Amino acid sequence: MNKLLTTSAVALIAVCGTTWAWAQPINESELSDPRVRQAIAYAIDMETIAETLFEGAAIPAIGLTSDPANYPEGMNTYSYNPERARELLAEAGWDGSRTLDMVYYYPDQLTADFMAVVQAQLADVGIDMTYRLLEGDVGAQITGRPADPVNGPSVVEWDMLYGARAAIANQEYFNRFAEGQMPMIPTVEEMLPLVEQVNGTVDPAVQRAGYQHMEGIINENVYILPLYYQQLYIFESDRISRNGAPYGNEQYSYNSDVINWTVEPNEDGERVAYTNAAPMQFFELPWQNLGIWVHSRYAFDTILQADGSLRPIGGKLAESYEVSEDGLTLSFTMKEGLKWHDGSDLTAEDVVWSIETAALAPIVQPLVATTIGSIEGADAYKAGEADSISGISVDGRTVTLTFATIDPNMLMSFAQFAPLPKAYLEGVDPLQIQQHEFWQKPVGSGPFMIEEARMNEFTTLVPFPDYHRGVAKIDRIIALPSADGDANLIRNAAAFRADFGYTKNATDVPALEEMEHMNVTAVNIPYTRMFWINQFPRE
Amino acid sequence: MLTYIARRLLTLIPMVIVISFLIYLGLELTPGDAVSHMVPPDARSMMDEERLQALRESLGLGKPFIVRYWIWITGVMQGEFGYSLAGGVPISKIFLDRLPATLELSFAALLISTVLGSILGTISALTRGSLTDQSLTVVGMLGVSIPEFFFGLVAILVFALNLNWFPVGGRILPGYDSFWDRLPHLVMPAMVLSIMMTAGVMRYARSSMLDALSRDFIRTARSKGMPEWRVNILHGFRVALTPVIVLIGFRLPVLIGGSVIIEQVFQWPGIGKEFVSAVRSQDYPLVMMVALFSVLAVLIASLIVDLLTAIIDPRVRLGE
Repeated sequence: MNKLLTTSAVALIAVCGTTWAWAQPINESELSDPRVRQAIAYAIDMETIAETLFEGAAIPAIGLTSDPANYPEGMNTYSYNPERARELLAEAGWDGSRTLDMVYYYPDQLTADFMAVVQAQLADVGIDMTYRLLEGDVGAQITGRPADPVNGPSVVEWDMLYGARAAIANQEYFNRFAEGQMPMIPTVEEMLPLVEQVNGTVDPAVQRAGYQHMEGIINENVYILPLYYQQLYIFESDRISRNGAPYGNEQYSYNSDVINWTVEPNEDGERVAYTNAAPMQFFELPWQNLGIWVHSRYAFDTILQADGSLRPIGGKLAESYEVSEDGLTLSFTMKEGLKWHDGSDLTAEDVVWSIETAALAPIVQPLVATTIGSIEGADAYKAGEADSISGISVDGRTVTLTFATIDPNMLMSFAQFAPLPKAYLEGVDPLQIQQHEFWQKPVGSGPFMIEEARMNEFTTLVPFPDYHRGVAKIDRIIALPSADGDANLIRNAAAFRADFGYTKNATDVPALEEMEHMNVTAVNIPYTRMFWINQFPRE
Repeated sequence: MLTYIARRLLTLIPMVIVISFLIYLGLELTPGDAVSHMVPPDARSMMDEERLQALRESLGLGKPFIVRYWIWITGVMQGEFGYSLAGGVPISKIFLDRLPATLELSFAALLISTVLGSILGTISALTRGSLTDQSLTVVGMLGVSIPEFFFGLVAILVFALNLNWFPVGGRILPGYDSFWDRLPHLVMPAMVLSIMMTAGVMRYARSSMLDALSRDFIRTARSKGMPEWRVNILHGFRVALTPVIVLIGFRLPVLIGGSVIIEQVFQWPGIGKEFVSAVRSQDYPLVMMVALFSVLAVLIASLIVDLLTAIIDPRVRLGE
């Protein structure tokens, strides 16, 4: 009995000790004190901001991921409570002498307005904050990591960063919690095994448990402050019909079934649909931004297929695929008779060449890059120690990939990965593949092929007659140039030059909805706006 | 005259070198480089830094500033304009694709503003103090005061979206290629681009004409019994034209640069739009060539203005 009491007492002291240790700064920075970060969370009235400033086009966030299934029970919503914020600051000994330096990298007016509101709400609880737009090499200003992952000092020169995480796999939200990876958060020991856990299995239940645990830790300590989930808005004119095809995350490849879309014929009887996202100087490699350009979505086909939420649902160029029980081997068999837009055969050799080239290309979507980097022999190949990736083998139309480590997202990656025609690009330095003239009028394998490309004017796409799933019903797509965020969208829509597309700009939505001929559909996407709080001391 | 032209052309070389070096230096001092702009900030923390560094090296961005400038300037002198860093497109191709659009827009605006500005300025001067003169002065003031993008947006709203007279933007639609097909697309941007300059030319022409009309030779012409219209047009307008030509000559290169906003508003695929995009992405070979082109345009326009002034006004002696 005594032993039991002693053990209980020790456990109680340990718990209290943990709590006491938790509620303290871990280094010289006041922001390393979780009470200060919690106070910041309580001070911001995200509900009101979402309803007023963002006109309802933002969903206040609770966790890093927007899927409630990833949350443990009892997640703190940090509902607006300035009184509680003041109490926490007082407990933490915040004397108000420090002015926080907030930075952001979105140059739009809405962001500036948001910063002004946050500044006022923080001031209300006694936190002075100034804000500034980062200019120049933004990436370098937000990614520098301190040599000492606990005591710093900080390499980045700000206290808070307003930014976003756009991820297609849940792991992408958490992987930077691996030791020494965060420019602004000291190593969180209890997160390390959890990061390994969610990356080391293909079992969704084990992954889910890991996400729940990590969301709970982040929520409790406000290591990162998730603000709101951004939606994506698919717009369509009343001329066009998807004929029941699903809506999904338009920034990536998914089963949008574009070949069965129809559009009302024009006065010449031609079924022409207008959209945006045509290139301005060159067609971007479809391995970088996986779906934001019109050619990435419609002129290039991926090996596997994803649904609107980007979950793999089957083959696309592949007729079938198989994953070994240990999760270390993936093989897919390409469909018979696949063609490139120039009429030549699309073979397994093209697929292998594309994977090996992507392994060396400088800018590849991180999830895809991780998958390819996990293939056995990829490291040696990247280091120039091998002529090919040893973990890739071909047998007829079947490509087999053997992985050195489990990659839980390999199917998702290949549902986004489009092979390129080896015949056009063989021999090019992978580092400069984007600079090749092929990208002035690329040859793809998707349902539409590029007919005419006048850079910065328009791109026209016409149905690919040999497409493996049938010929598209729209006669021609005319795509006007724009990057991700089309400044001319409203004008073009009003002039009937935008039949389909998407926007993430919430201010476009009311204007589009006001037009009688336009319809807007909101889609939930994994895109979280957040504050990163720099918890390292600054010199 | 030929010696003068040759001397002026030779002085262009050191000027171009100095100016281009200063622009290059300015770009160098800007934080970041082309590679850092190829990856959006949201994705940067998840990218392979070593690979980005390798790309930087392969594009020659790892070399010291002065070496890069030397490679660039010697290349230009040998007629090699280089490639855009972002997409590897030859810069000569970008110029060939974009410059005609900008020149088309600029010349149209110049033509409209010159004709309208000179006529209205002369009318204003000849009717000095009248309601017409005062109305034109007010219109001129509005023209110079209100920014072009505002006129552009109003024009799109009224003439493209409400009246449906002109297309909302762009230079041409797929399947069309001739100048006449492009003309409806040109009208609005050219008119809007010319507004500010028309107002400027009008004000300049008015004061110049008033100045000319007060000269002795005008009184002499009148005393000889010459008809009033001949006095005004043959003597007054010709003399008044000299400063106006100077203004117009110097406006052409400004128009090329000044069409940037109009190109954005009207989705006009010109070099100005390309320049903005190149500056944002720190695509220095492209920025340098556009800047060099603009500098040359200004310098050559200045030479042409000098020559025209000498031709129009016999009192001007070149090279003295």
